[in-house]
Amino acid sequence: MSAGTPPLSNPPPKPQVKALNCPQCGSAIVLRALGHAETVVCESCHSILDAKDPNLQILQKFEAATGEARPLIPLGSRGKLRGVDYEVIGFQRRSITVEGIRYSWHEYVLFNPYKAIRYLTEYNGHWNDISVCKELPQTGFASANYLGEAYKHFQTSDANTNFVLGEFPWQVRVGEHATVTEYVKPPRVLASEKTANEVTWSLGEYTYGADIWKSFNLPGKPPEAVGVYENQPSPVSENVKGIWGAFLAFAILLLVFMAGFDLASPKGAAFESSYQLNVGEPKGEASFVTDVFNLEGRTSNVEVTTTANVDNSWIYLNYALINNDTEQAWDFGREVSYYHGYDSDGSWTEGGQKNSVILPSIPAGHYYLRIEPEVDPKHPPIAYTIEVKRDVPVLGFFGIAFFALLLPAIAITWRSITFERMRWAESDHPPIKIGNSEE
Amino acid sequence: MFRKLYLAYGLLVLGGTGFAQYHGWSLDRITQLKNVPKSVRDNPGSYRSVYGFYHHYTGGK
Repeated sequence: MSAGTPPLSNPPPKPQVKALNCPQCGSAIVLRALGHAETVVCESCHSILDAKDPNLQILQKFEAATGEARPLIPLGSRGKLRGVDYEVIGFQRRSITVEGIRYSWHEYVLFNPYKAIRYLTEYNGHWNDISVCKELPQTGFASANYLGEAYKHFQTSDANTNFVLGEFPWQVRVGEHATVTEYVKPPRVLASEKTANEVTWSLGEYTYGADIWKSFNLPGKPPEAVGVYENQPSPVSENVKGIWGAFLAFAILLLVFMAGFDLASPKGAAFESSYQLNVGEPKGEASFVTDVFNLEGRTSNVEVTTTANVDNSWIYLNYALINNDTEQAWDFGREVSYYHGYDSDGSWTEGGQKNSVILPSIPAGHYYLRIEPEVDPKHPPIAYTIEVKRDVPVLGFFGIAFFALLLPAIAITWRSITFERMRWAESDHPPIKIGNSEE
Repeated sequence: MFRKLYLAYGLLVLGGTGFAQYHGWSLDRITQLKNVPKSVRDNPGSYRSVYGFYHHYTGGK
């Protein structure tokens, strides 16, 4: 609570409350904001009375529709907002009509004898805590500036007052019209209300129903918020920049990782040899074994690269990397095929003259390769080279990691965009206008 | 909240990548065999690859 602001509840200032009777229906009327209220509405007959007149002169009579919504926060409820005690003294339902559809919202007048009047508004479960601006905002083209913050124009509409109850610090009337222009900078909304006589600027801040229920100690739960409201803070938008920043940092780290593993891997080949396959030679056992070579260091991967001078042909090699000491083997087959030509679509190529495979988690030891080549029998001799390298960076892992890091950033950005599109779809500046024209 | 989750997730991804790379994991499909006979070294024909019946691509458009 701010200094010098006594709480309402301990005890409420007695001289401010006065009990009277409605001159229309005789029902008891309690004036909670005596001296501050301009008008008071009889809760029984809904006559609007002059709160400044000791006889409560009738200013307007209106028929409330049967089943008219009652305030979700009953008049007389007391609660603490921003550390200040307030009492709900007035309630009104207002509406705008857009394309023949009427949209209604509720406004609650909050009173503290030592503070300025505040308001709570509620639309479809979305609440705003509103106070009158202390300075005049600067307006520009589709924007406004207040206390150094820029607000974007959201909507301009004609609001009507449809139902009133309780006390109001102005001369309220059912049927009142005002041109309401709203500018948003979530979680705040800046609004001007223009009537024939005056322009009032107010600043609202999005408030969660649960917080209001807690503040006013209301029973049950607040109504569920439906859709996205004009100044509702996006649950993800504020994270978008941070997540992209983190993604960039992770991507750089990933590159550093990759470069580090590349630098740490042995530069030379553990084994390299060239062979020639002559298919025309008398048929015998095609398989053969290489010399024994040494794979050093910790258990890590082994890359076997086959390069062959295939040209519109293929060679297939059945490989087995065999540990000379433990009789363990890693069996795999690789095809090197390269085709090219020219047709009605132009030139084309398929495959290549090089093929690599990475064998996982090979312990250190003495190894040899058993190789069994197969080729197209009609093909001329094929020369091929086999190279064995130890501990090579697996680009696939880094690629997977890159996309694994990228996807959440994209998902959150997409969610944020969707949220903003839903917000602005209700404005005078929808992202997509009917008629398929993009704004 | 999201940022913290993402930071934790990112560190997990980086850690996983580093672990996989350090331990020599691979994305290629390899068949591991045990107890390959010693005789393969002297008689390579005594061993037949499990990929020996691969259907070869004949290429071309």
